[in-house]
Amino acid sequence: MTRTIANRYPDAASGGDPAASITLTMPLQPANPGQPLHRRHWLLTALLCITVLGVSVVNPAFVTVQNFRDLLIQCAPIAIVACGMTFVIIVGEIDVSVGSLMGLLAALMGILASPAHLGLAVPWVVVITLAAGAGIGLLNGLLITIGRVPSIIATLGMLTILRGITEMLMGGEWITDLPAGLRTLGTGAIAGIPISILTAAVITAVCIACARRTHLGLSSYAVGDNATAASLARISTTRIKLTAFAILGLLTGIAALVSVPQQSVIESGIGVGFELIVITAVVVGGTSIRGGVGAITGTLLAALLLGGIRTALVFLKLGETATYWERAIQGAFILAAVLADHWTGVKAWLIGRRGRTGAVAP
Amino acid sequence: MMAPRKRSLVQEGVLGILLIATLAIAAWLDGPDGAFISPATQLELSTHIFDLAILALPMTLIIITGGIDLSVGSTMALSAVTLGMLYEAGTPIWIAGFVAIIVGTLAGAINGIFVARVGVHPLIVTLASMALYRGLAEGISLARPISGFPDGLQRLGGGTFAGVPISGMIFAAAAIGCMLLTARTVAGRWIYGIGDNERAASYAGIPIARTKLWLYSLSGTAAGVAALIAVGRRNTAKADIGSGIELEVITAVVLGGTSIFGGRGGILGTILGVALIHEVREFVSWHWQDDKLILIVIGVILIGSVLLNNLASRSRV
Repeated sequence: MTRTIANRYPDAASGGDPAASITLTMPLQPANPGQPLHRRHWLLTALLCITVLGVSVVNPAFVTVQNFRDLLIQCAPIAIVACGMTFVIIVGEIDVSVGSLMGLLAALMGILASPAHLGLAVPWVVVITLAAGAGIGLLNGLLITIGRVPSIIATLGMLTILRGITEMLMGGEWITDLPAGLRTLGTGAIAGIPISILTAAVITAVCIACARRTHLGLSSYAVGDNATAASLARISTTRIKLTAFAILGLLTGIAALVSVPQQSVIESGIGVGFELIVITAVVVGGTSIRGGVGAITGTLLAALLLGGIRTALVFLKLGETATYWERAIQGAFILAAVLADHWTGVKAWLIGRRGRTGAVAP
Repeated sequence: MMAPRKRSLVQEGVLGILLIATLAIAAWLDGPDGAFISPATQLELSTHIFDLAILALPMTLIIITGGIDLSVGSTMALSAVTLGMLYEAGTPIWIAGFVAIIVGTLAGAINGIFVARVGVHPLIVTLASMALYRGLAEGISLARPISGFPDGLQRLGGGTFAGVPISGMIFAAAAIGCMLLTARTVAGRWIYGIGDNERAASYAGIPIARTKLWLYSLSGTAAGVAALIAVGRRNTAKADIGSGIELEVITAVVLGGTSIFGGRGGILGTILGVALIHEVREFVSWHWQDDKLILIVIGVILIGSVLLNNLASRSRV
């Protein structure tokens, strides 16, 4: 599949000719006859079905519309942020600060909206939260592109900085007087569908279309696959990376808006460890941590599966102690997914244990 | 094989100056009585850092090979819970401690097998095992704290021998060992070679998989030792021990000038990085009793050091 796209970056490489156009070959896996990513999607779908069916058989009480709705509500913020994270990982970077950003935006939202603090109207709260999210995402992007700080370092630093700012803003207090208008964002429904589920559905659809059909999406794959080749093809890696980080920040803001007001309390611990769940969803969904390969569909399926497993553990009625094993089961599951992904490597290790000097260099 | 690389000590020099500046500011804000800067206080406070410092040593070597280990905090928890459960069941503390270190080493070796033999990206492997080991620690102990450890273990965590903290002596021995390893042995050259150019290293006949397997196992061993120290200091073993420590450890290593892309860095820088983080943290909490400020300061130091380094190198080119 190829697309011809007008040159939007008439920079030095193109001699400044805006009329020059470039042809991008869609570097998404469908171009590859092996289609390992499609296999991954089927595998995830099968696992999801097995999980849901298994729980339904063991505990028929699970099969209610309410339970499925709760499951989707739980998955919604993960899916929203994971869409943005997929782009960031596709361009070959990573952002470990989304959990802290989520916490900061929650605190900001609470302080802006709560009558005891600033008591702004809900539209202003929404606009400022989204702007703050996108702005901090952009700041991450600037540190990484212009400042040339490796993304893991820059966002690791932002992880602690944002958490520190959050705790300063909250000062150990809880915000409990959220106005009804803001609570509606989390608890309300349009045509019977909760707003968070609707938002997640729209965002994943837009991101899938964006990844497959737009200049930004196709360029992201090109940049992640080979940054030098991409810049020779007149793609501005700086702009693509900045956009990816800004989108991730914006999506984190949206996720915060639809998920945080579900609870009536805002405290400074919101979002701790969230980045790991999001990155896990992206990676289990088949996006390569080295960049250049991946798809939003896989991310969405993995986010649903991660949420499904958590719900399954509750409904399997394994007893009081089961909750303590939840994280172990999740970890084992991720490791199993990784093993399935590297099956050739596993076989090579099991068969050729003797006489080997080393793994093949990447 | 490889020509020994001429290493400039610019980063180490900058860190040394920063460290001295921090101590000078601390002394100045401290006033004439010098309570914070006094050797007694410094020795007392130093016991807070040695578990982190011990983890930073193998982490430096792993990052030099171009890898990363996010699971050290969780491995620590697994070792700590093993220690606690065994001791509670009546095992002598020596044996329980020994088994805890073995468990840590095995946990590290599993990471190593995935990274080196199966060929999975280390970030993915250790992200998964980070959840797995923490979850195992929570599951085995049902997340309840175990306390009442004997004096021997408590002395390991906070005690001194001839005025020097025992945990500090363990760290010093490990640090000297790692310095000799990187500077004086063939295996040390292998570590830099792998990080510099893995393909070239493989053509040069360096046993890449074996080296990595050893390093990740070593990281697990260090996590086991750090668990003994941390449990001894708090006299409590709980599954939440060491949560978030992996980020502090990586911060210290990167602050010490080790490149996250591998091939460059060293133990001396890491020691200075750990010392700087320790002094800043202890001083901020000593002077302002403010934990939030510490988070911000450490984050700014981490990003700022790399950013300044980049700006400096750009102007030189």
